[in-house]
Amino acid sequence: MPIATSDAAMGEMLAVLLARDMADGERAIVGTNSDIQVAACNLARQRHAPHLWWVSGPGGMTNASEGIIRPAADAENIAVAEAVMDLPQMIDFIDWQVHFFDFAILGALQTDRFGNINTVCIGDHARPKLRGPGTVGISALCGLSHRFYIMMTRHDRSAFVPKVDFVCGAGFLDGGTSRTDRGLPEGGPKLVVTPLGVFDFEPANKAMRVKSLHDGVTLDEVRDNTGFDLLVPETLQHTVPPTAEELFTLRRLVDSTGVLARKFPWPTSRHAANSKGVR
Amino acid sequence: MTSSGKIVSLDAALSVVQNGMTLGIGGWIFHGQPMALVRGLIRKGVRDLTLVPAPGSIAPDMLIGAGCVTTTACVFISFEHLGLAPNFRRAVQSGAIKVLEMDGPGIAGGLRAGACDLPYGLIPDLGTDLPRVNPEGYRRARTQDGDRPLLEVPAIKPDVVFLHGQQADQEGNVQYFGASYFDLLMAQAAKHVICLVDRIVPSSAVRQSARLTKIPSAFVNAVVVSPFGAHPGASSGLYEQDEAHLAAYVAASRDQATFDAYIASHVRDTAGEDGYQDRIGARTLAQLSGGEAGR
Repeated sequence: MPIATSDAAMGEMLAVLLARDMADGERAIVGTNSDIQVAACNLARQRHAPHLWWVSGPGGMTNASEGIIRPAADAENIAVAEAVMDLPQMIDFIDWQVHFFDFAILGALQTDRFGNINTVCIGDHARPKLRGPGTVGISALCGLSHRFYIMMTRHDRSAFVPKVDFVCGAGFLDGGTSRTDRGLPEGGPKLVVTPLGVFDFEPANKAMRVKSLHDGVTLDEVRDNTGFDLLVPETLQHTVPPTAEELFTLRRLVDSTGVLARKFPWPTSRHAANSKGVR
Repeated sequence: MTSSGKIVSLDAALSVVQNGMTLGIGGWIFHGQPMALVRGLIRKGVRDLTLVPAPGSIAPDMLIGAGCVTTTACVFISFEHLGLAPNFRRAVQSGAIKVLEMDGPGIAGGLRAGACDLPYGLIPDLGTDLPRVNPEGYRRARTQDGDRPLLEVPAIKPDVVFLHGQQADQEGNVQYFGASYFDLLMAQAAKHVICLVDRIVPSSAVRQSARLTKIPSAFVNAVVVSPFGAHPGASSGLYEQDEAHLAAYVAASRDQATFDAYIASHVRDTAGEDGYQDRIGARTLAQLSGGEAGR
């Protein structure tokens, strides 16, 4: 397959942005449906973080890598892993231990101004408008990791709401010091990556803030698609697009069968804008 | 050599499952869903079950859609890239079933307490809304000054659990070619354990690869052998999940009438699992076993 240095697909872009923030020697966990997360970890390992350690939450395989993105729970990962752990042992450091993981990367049905996460329901829990899949390890990973990333494959007002309908993963709760006041360890969301930009949280009040916008994205477009007022810094940064070297490494050594491009294309409304910027 | 008597027919194994019981289900999403047992239970017409599924997909969803369930714990029930669990979603949104909202620490702590004959497990209070909507499942624990906030989660001791492994021997040692998730912990916590396997192998084959034995025979009450018994889910190392069938299942689940038609054609009107395999077709099953060649 030719390695094109042309446009990054949305999934590739998100993997590159996440990988850049990972450091060598860190410990991470990925869930079942985690193609972008696996790609990000393995990309970081190929580039600047060769001793990053990641484990498949359900499957127990560590640092599985063969240049092909497979579902993280699949048995095929065993043959290319460094270790295989059993879940009843792993729960000690997933569900109880404080700060074992440096980071986790989580998706959501909804997130809010303070980076809380909801994958349980839209509307009232007893009679929801939309019943989601549930919490699984999100509560523990948001609550106990040093930091977490929120990765959203869509950015609109149904996903970015003033307050989530159900907190299944604690971000900064009500902002300020409310997270640690509640007895949770230091931590919380560090970055939010979406098809429109990268967002962080203001250090004191913990409200979500624009960090950088992807090429071709305007502040108005982000505001129109966000259900609360984002903090905006004085000078707006542009997201540094994936470099040719990052994309080459991703496509040659991490995702050689093109899973991310196939499964995570840009939303159609965004494609025209992004295809200009990421060459 | 005398048989342990643990290898039994599907009907014999399911005779212990009665209306109103608490049923644990092992596996993880599309892996190790004990579908032949689920289909057998629907044919048997069991009702009013309380489910405690490990994070799953079609096993809990089908039992809910077929009307076998009044209450389900939900840690995670999802069809991942194929969408939300359709029958679970419809039943919860219409109020047809009650949900005991749980998370990973809740089920882990509850199963551990169950396995250890303790009344409850202790887990960290993670600042979520779970205790608000499931106050019996998450009770504030007494702590000392300086402790982090903790919750008590009651012991989980299912009446019966359904598990799926790849192979077993006559003694009832169950082997897994991939991850075994919460299956052993569920077996330890349960009162009665039924393991579904794709095949029976000689004891010598089990001894050759004893590291694959994840559920030793002491934890197993009954073994049911049914080739492709996890279909349309995956059986690690033997066959992949049937994406086309799972997508068709989701489509058929768009309303109760079309789902009832699916259950009639694929479960109730088939002559057991032999009839189900005929319905799916040898060619499809062969392709799912073909590894890279099957794609």
